[in-house]
Amino acid sequence: MKIGINTEIAFTYLVSRRKQTIVAALGVTFGISMFIFMNALITGTNEYSEDTMLNTTPHIRLYHDNELSNGRMLNRFAGNKTINLISNPQLVPGDNRIVNPDAVTSLLKQRNDVTALSQQVSANVIYSNSSVQENGNIFGVNILEQNKMFDIASTIMAGSLKSLSENANAIIIGAGLAQRLNLSKGDYIKVTASNGASKSLQVVGIFKTTIKSIDNTKTYCNIPIVQQLLQKDRAYITDIYINVKDYYNAPAIGKSIEQLTGYTAEAWQSSNEQSLAGKKIRDIIANSVVITILIVAGFGIYNILNMVIYEKIKEIAILKATGFQGAHVVGIFIRQAMLIGFIGAMAGLAFGWLISWTVSKMYIGLGNVTYLPIAFHVKHYIQGGLFGMATAFFAGYIPAVKASKVDPVQIIRG
Amino acid sequence: MAIALEANNINKYFMTPEKFHALKGISFKINQGEFVSITGKSGCGKSTMLYILSTMDTDYEGSLQLNNQTITGQKQNHLAAFRNEHIGFIFQFHYLLPDFSCLKNVMIPALRLGRLSREEIEHNAYEKLKLLDVGGQALKAASRISGGQQQRVAIARALINEPSIIMGDEPTGNLDSRNTAVVFDMFRKLASGYNKTIIAVTHDNDFAHKSDRIIEMMDGKIIAQ
Repeated sequence: MKIGINTEIAFTYLVSRRKQTIVAALGVTFGISMFIFMNALITGTNEYSEDTMLNTTPHIRLYHDNELSNGRMLNRFAGNKTINLISNPQLVPGDNRIVNPDAVTSLLKQRNDVTALSQQVSANVIYSNSSVQENGNIFGVNILEQNKMFDIASTIMAGSLKSLSENANAIIIGAGLAQRLNLSKGDYIKVTASNGASKSLQVVGIFKTTIKSIDNTKTYCNIPIVQQLLQKDRAYITDIYINVKDYYNAPAIGKSIEQLTGYTAEAWQSSNEQSLAGKKIRDIIANSVVITILIVAGFGIYNILNMVIYEKIKEIAILKATGFQGAHVVGIFIRQAMLIGFIGAMAGLAFGWLISWTVSKMYIGLGNVTYLPIAFHVKHYIQGGLFGMATAFFAGYIPAVKASKVDPVQIIRG
Repeated sequence: MAIALEANNINKYFMTPEKFHALKGISFKINQGEFVSITGKSGCGKSTMLYILSTMDTDYEGSLQLNNQTITGQKQNHLAAFRNEHIGFIFQFHYLLPDFSCLKNVMIPALRLGRLSREEIEHNAYEKLKLLDVGGQALKAASRISGGQQQRVAIARALINEPSIIMGDEPTGNLDSRNTAVVFDMFRKLASGYNKTIIAVTHDNDFAHKSDRIIEMMDGKIIAQ
């Protein structure tokens, strides 16, 4: 490899002042390792909370909302001879069904940004076992489709998902409900809807999400059961759950699905705004800590380079006397700063990984958090390396320019 | 005979601590291959003048030509490149870079010039060091050799780019008589053998009298040349 003379001089200066170099590099190392660790922790936490959200919320929920009354029917009745206005329009409580759900589903399936679809119908019910009653929501779903979205299988404690699709009168209940009603796999549970219709279903599975409100109230059964409880026909579907490829883009995709189908699409972001606010706050905290550390590390480099330049001022004068131009001198000291930054950043990446790895082995054991959620993303390491180098560059630039302005005559003549 | 240096009516003022007229209308010419000594008492302005001649000091009035190129008014970067190629400068103190080996010290100006490959430069640097009888010290750190040897390495550094003009600010001021003789002989050889122009500021009368020509200065003026 061909090494320029500027690089060679910068390198020699670094090596001959080993201690200073190490101290300056350690500043960067510390900054970058904190950058990596903070990012790993915050991203891990965000991913964890996002996973929790998306385990219960689909990316997009398509449903039939109540509509404001409009003048369409009036126009048809009264014709165009008059201007027909409805003062104080009201919401019309309609049938919340999605008309011809299979057609809508197959229409959505043609979109290539949709990855999974699940039709469902739900009802408020009272669960009872002998004389004990509990309130809750029963969801009529195709359990295998829904499992693709929410990975229900991983939360199953007893029984299996498959047995629900094989047994028409089966139900999967939450662990909390099972405990409250003293039910185990194979027992029967009575489900009563608000209109009085009731069904006796066999428990074929018990799931535990560790989210109490869900474990205590939610149950899954086959779609016809809920339709029967609600005394509706076989085509009665109230919601279509949609998962998309780029779920950060769900609101926009939701909008286009709304236009396509005419139903209301709710993206997961709008139903989880609080969690997203939490994510934003965590990001801001992490970034301010990281920036502070990088600035401190930058000042470390700045100080040490200033010292080096003060020490080497005679040598800089000689270099200029023998024909080094200002830009060459800047080049030497920028290279020195960049080398410090490079060494520090590399060590920082390794050290940051080590901290993250160590912390990821920390046992928490609360709710469904077993170990501290830590993310390992290549992106963070690339960013960390670049930030380290950038800090070094800016920290080195000012002293380097100062060095380039040294007047050789003044220095050599004393 | 070609003219190596031409100074025309050079005036120099120092502003601090108070305004001081250091050089008063200096004009002279030096031919190629001439070995010139500049003498005078301390404070007569001879070093001041040398630094102007060396292109490092640009804060003066008048005009200066080196190798038929006008130096006055050129940009700093251009001057640095000019020094690199055409001028070898030898200081009273060796001013070697202590972190580098003697060989590297000699090589640095040539690496900066970048006209030859690294191998050729290394070979030339060895040759220069041998010429000055310090070939054996080549790989030692510049801070680890004796004063006389350091000065010879510094001269080798001044010669590495084959400059046509060599300037010395009391190049033998820090040397014993034996080393002074070595340096003088070297200059003599460079002037008559290689047609280099030598301009040396000196306090050493013996040294001055053995050179081709003496420019004597007093109070910022040339009183004899």
